Amino acid sequence: MSALVATRAPLGRQLRSELRWILRRPRTVIGLASLCLVPVLAGIGLWFAVDGDGPAGPGLAAIIAGNGLVLPVFTLMLALPLLLPLVGAIWAADGLAGEAQHGTLRGLMISPVGRLRLLGIKAFGVATMTLFAVTLIAFVGAITGVVLFGGEGMLTLSGSTLPIGAALGRIVLTILLVTVQVWGVAAIAMAISACTEHPLVVMAATMAGVIVFAVLGIFSALDWLHPYLITSAWDGLIDVMRDPLPTEALWRGTALAGCYILIGMSLAAMRLATKDN
Amino acid sequence: MNRRRVTVVAAAVGVVAGATGLGLLAMPAGAGPAPVLPDVSAEALVESVLNAKPAAFGGTVDVDNDLGIPAIAGVPQLSDGASNLRIWTDGTGKLRVQLPGGDSERTFVDDGRTAWLWDSADQTVTKLPHGSFERAEPDLGGEPKAAPTDPVTLSRQVVAAIQQYSDVTVDGTARVANRPVYELVLTPKPTEKTVLREVRVAVDSELRVPLRVAVLTNGTDAPAAQVGFSELTVGPQDASLFAFAPPAGAKVTEPEVGEPSAEDKAAAEKVFTEANPQVIGEGWDVVLAARVPRDALAGLAEAQQRGQREGRWSDRGQDADVDVQGLVKQLGKPVSGAWGSGTLITTRVGGVLIADDGRVAAGAVPEQVLVDAIGQVK
Repeated sequence: MSALVATRAPLGRQLRSELRWILRRPRTVIGLASLCLVPVLAGIGLWFAVDGDGPAGPGLAAIIAGNGLVLPVFTLMLALPLLLPLVGAIWAADGLAGEAQHGTLRGLMISPVGRLRLLGIKAFGVATMTLFAVTLIAFVGAITGVVLFGGEGMLTLSGSTLPIGAALGRIVLTILLVTVQVWGVAAIAMAISACTEHPLVVMAATMAGVIVFAVLGIFSALDWLHPYLITSAWDGLIDVMRDPLPTEALWRGTALAGCYILIGMSLAAMRLATKDN
Repeated sequence: MNRRRVTVVAAAVGVVAGATGLGLLAMPAGAGPAPVLPDVSAEALVESVLNAKPAAFGGTVDVDNDLGIPAIAGVPQLSDGASNLRIWTDGTGKLRVQLPGGDSERTFVDDGRTAWLWDSADQTVTKLPHGSFERAEPDLGGEPKAAPTDPVTLSRQVVAAIQQYSDVTVDGTARVANRPVYELVLTPKPTEKTVLREVRVAVDSELRVPLRVAVLTNGTDAPAAQVGFSELTVGPQDASLFAFAPPAGAKVTEPEVGEPSAEDKAAAEKVFTEANPQVIGEGWDVVLAARVPRDALAGLAEAQQRGQREGRWSDRGQDADVDVQGLVKQLGKPVSGAWGSGTLITTRVGGVLIADDGRVAAGAVPEQVLVDAIGQVK
């Protein structure tokens, strides 16, 4: 970060201080530690399921026996519908609404830092922490998977076995794709966060939105609406476990999340720019 | 003050751009302008399709199904709605087909000597002899099954046979999977009593293979079923696609295919004689009729289950204690007439009439034609 040469204001220092500000909150550390438990618990649960006859479960669980590197992908798919949006919403809520609640947002806004830059720094903090959380889950998942299930390479849903390099590539791809989806949710949470002084409202509204979207996605009568729902892209992410990799649904989901990021950040910028100081 | 206004305007533009992006993503991909291709007569086009050499290609086939057929578990490609399958072939008999389904996948690989069927849902591999797929799959493209001795004569005969009952026209050009195609339209002659309005076949202008087949029925614009490539790469495919090694943890089964026991043969023959299958009508109104003894239905279901337990490659979705009669009653509506009474199951492309005494008639025809046909079953 210090390699960035500051021209007008030390941006690197601002970004670093934002990250330090997030990481120094005890709830962040506790939250990250409990996120590490998710792949461990999922792995132990599957380990007991694999002992019985037949497949351990539907979907990815069916191919997990002797195939430990599937566990990080499985865990991320498990966490994406609720847990990861919640994590993204918490950080987005702390970023603006949390500061407003403590009265510190006012100080930040009258400081000689542009409001767009303030939003950019806050968004950077949320984005980095999301990527870190997703990577942490995948890392713990990979270790747990290899310890519990072993296996060299990765068996795909298509029945082919990828060598270790390609398998790690698929895990990294999953991390990136899942992170972008969480960014999409977190950007909307940032927009809500800019409008309120109560972090709880941000979290509740974001999670309610995610749940409502998921419910709307169930009704086939609303299929004209489904292409607009960010949650509808999440099922398609399982394509990372097919071989050869079908890219269409993955591009589509990423572009959809990109649109949500653009809308969310624009709304947040609009609100922040017009906020009274 | 001014800077704030600029920010707000820029942010508003961002919101609009994002919303537009969502709209663009939701829109189906545009087909682009119709390509300009040399004129071709319908007869010549059909003949060239019948004589087309198999080519190496790989691609994705989109299946849009609105037939109104009840869902079959595990095979979304056959159920109502949109789904896709991925296919690769080297043009000389090696083949790979992947059927993605929700969070599982079935893969069929024919490496030229052995065929493998992988199912991720239960981690099983079924080993089959080479060429199993051609036998198991219905031929959608209308390509000839066996190599004819004199292709030109044979294709002329086929064209003549088609023209006896249908108007065959070339309805302009289009793009399918970004390749220029001719739109071949088969319309039943006005005297035909079918429920089908037309069948549209998009024929690749260069390879002369069907790239898209759509079945349209009376009364609607949307196809009742459409199968077509959404993505197609023509040319040699990666050889590793046609190789398959069963994964370490998978159960590998090798069913006895093509060598039915004498007992099975006799049973099949008995059923066949009793059923006395017959074809009533001709052209588009053809109705397949048969008589199925009432206990044979139950026997059939039982045989299928037995086959499944032995690992035969048969359709899944048959529950262990399937009640065929109950299922039929549930799917159809009761009808009766001078011919007796029974159940009529209608789909958008035709119907099946099952009489209570075991007579069955099926065809792409309206109810009345089925009723007429079932009256003729002896």
